Amino acid sequence: MVELAEVTRSQARSSRSRLGRSHSRRWARFRAGAVTTGLLAPSVVLYTVMTIVPVGVAVYLSLTDWNGFSEAAFVGWDNYTHLFDDPNTQSAWYVTTIVAVCGTVLMIGGGLAYALALKDSSRTNSFFRALAYYPHVISALILGYLWSAILGTNGAINNTAAKFGIDPIGFLFDEKLALITLIGVIVWAGFGFNVVLFVAALQTVPAELIEAAAIDGASRWQTNRRVVVPMIAPVVTVATVLNLIGLIRAYDLVVSLTGGGPAGATQTYAYVILARSFEGTKVGYATAQAVFLMVVSAVLALVVTALRNRQDTDVAS
Amino acid sequence: MAVAPTGRTRRSPVRPLMLLFLLVVMTVPVYLLVVNTFKSQEDILNSPFSFPLADLTVKHLMDAIRSPQYNVIKGYGFTLFLVVVVDILCILMAGPAAYAIARSLKKRTQLVMLYFLAGTFIPGAALIIPVIYVLRSVGLANTVAGLIAHDVAATLPVSIFLFVGFIRTIPGSIDQAAMIDGAGRLRTFWTIIFPLMRPAVVTVLILNSIGIWNDFVSPQILLSPGSGRYTVTTAIYAGISQYSTDLTKVFPNLLLAIAPVVIFFIYMQRHIISGLTVGAVKG
Repeated sequence: MVELAEVTRSQARSSRSRLGRSHSRRWARFRAGAVTTGLLAPSVVLYTVMTIVPVGVAVYLSLTDWNGFSEAAFVGWDNYTHLFDDPNTQSAWYVTTIVAVCGTVLMIGGGLAYALALKDSSRTNSFFRALAYYPHVISALILGYLWSAILGTNGAINNTAAKFGIDPIGFLFDEKLALITLIGVIVWAGFGFNVVLFVAALQTVPAELIEAAAIDGASRWQTNRRVVVPMIAPVVTVATVLNLIGLIRAYDLVVSLTGGGPAGATQTYAYVILARSFEGTKVGYATAQAVFLMVVSAVLALVVTALRNRQDTDVAS
Repeated sequence: MAVAPTGRTRRSPVRPLMLLFLLVVMTVPVYLLVVNTFKSQEDILNSPFSFPLADLTVKHLMDAIRSPQYNVIKGYGFTLFLVVVVDILCILMAGPAAYAIARSLKKRTQLVMLYFLAGTFIPGAALIIPVIYVLRSVGLANTVAGLIAHDVAATLPVSIFLFVGFIRTIPGSIDQAAMIDGAGRLRTFWTIIFPLMRPAVVTVLILNSIGIWNDFVSPQILLSPGSGRYTVTTAIYAGISQYSTDLTKVFPNLLLAIAPVVIFFIYMQRHIISGLTVGAVKG
């Protein structure tokens, strides 16, 4: 009896310890998983609630006729079909495309020209790089106000011009000129960023290549065109798309520089969306526009990611 | 030495001309801003470019500093508060999350990374109306807490992305050594890994701080004007739309709004330029 009891007890003990061991292993794995979850949870929860849920809400609102106050009624794709036949939106698309394309071309061109001029490390060059770059740290809203105080009818330029008997120039009041002014200020504020980006890229171009080209009798212009710029082509491509993404979202500068005027000549897509939402009318339609803008941005951003991956593999190979 | 360096013998005038153009174009707006801050309305209108040493006055600048309405100096306080709180919360949340992502080999953790990356594709301004909708339903509409929650969430994707990239360059054997010595993962992160991440942390802090300081759309829309709270940008917006013809109010306020950023830029130039370039290239 005693023996039997002894045996069963020891069996029980060993089975308990076996159970305990596998239990503790599972417990350790569970604990590791729980810690990972714990590390991730605050970010994931906040990000989901404040960024992903609003995307869902936007998609939902874009399918309704919500005006900001009353009950929202479901209208299906109506808002989206409107996107292409509403004259207001069409003009905003026109303005946005002009701003994005012209702005990008000028910023890339200017950025490249100045990057080539400022690529060598010297005190003068780093001063000029910083000088080109500084507007990038200032709020676009405030830069817009500063430029409108300089270019407006009572602005510094027109008041000085008046002294010489020159009629006021409608930098901000002539429909065509206002768009050019907007692009000009955008380029002024943004090209320095491209300068810095390209200088960083140019400094990775091996000096031997440039020397070899010089020994072969290439002029400076030929060397830049045939050797140096092709070497940094991937960075230029990525910068092009980044500029485009930034510019199709242009809003702050439009508000402060022209207020979308004159007669809507400088209303960008982002400006129209926010103006409509502010008024509290046609929020459903405005969110449809916002969703569309999001899709365009996402496509462009995916292009950057793809280009960057290719660039990385190019560098690796 | 027989071959004369051709670049030196025939110096083209293109570069000096380019630099002169750059100097003029980049400094004239700032010159006008600074000079006109200290002039009377009459002087600003009649001779905007002049520098009348005898007639300069600090009166308008002092008025702007003491102004009871849309005071930019008061805006500094609230904006700085936002910057500090959002920076701290962002680091506290993004740091551990990035650590978990960087050190995990599991597929589902990598999917979390992609989930965050999707956020960099979303244009914030386009999403602000649905954000109001969400804030209203969690009871944070028109509150500072709501604005902070939105700003922190907006900073997370790029911050996590930069942190993950950086943590992956730190050898995992360092973590293992810490764990053998008995540190938990959170402790390993904060006491061992985090101090090693200084360059990445500086980049993220600069990116987020400048972004939040300059942000206009979020504080303008997520905080109602009735809340009495305004940032530098929303104070300028409210103030200038009211006094746009009174240039003795416009220039001093703009100078006050720009000065802190430019001083910060001059002081931290190198870090800021490299930080923002990295952020843009990666984000």
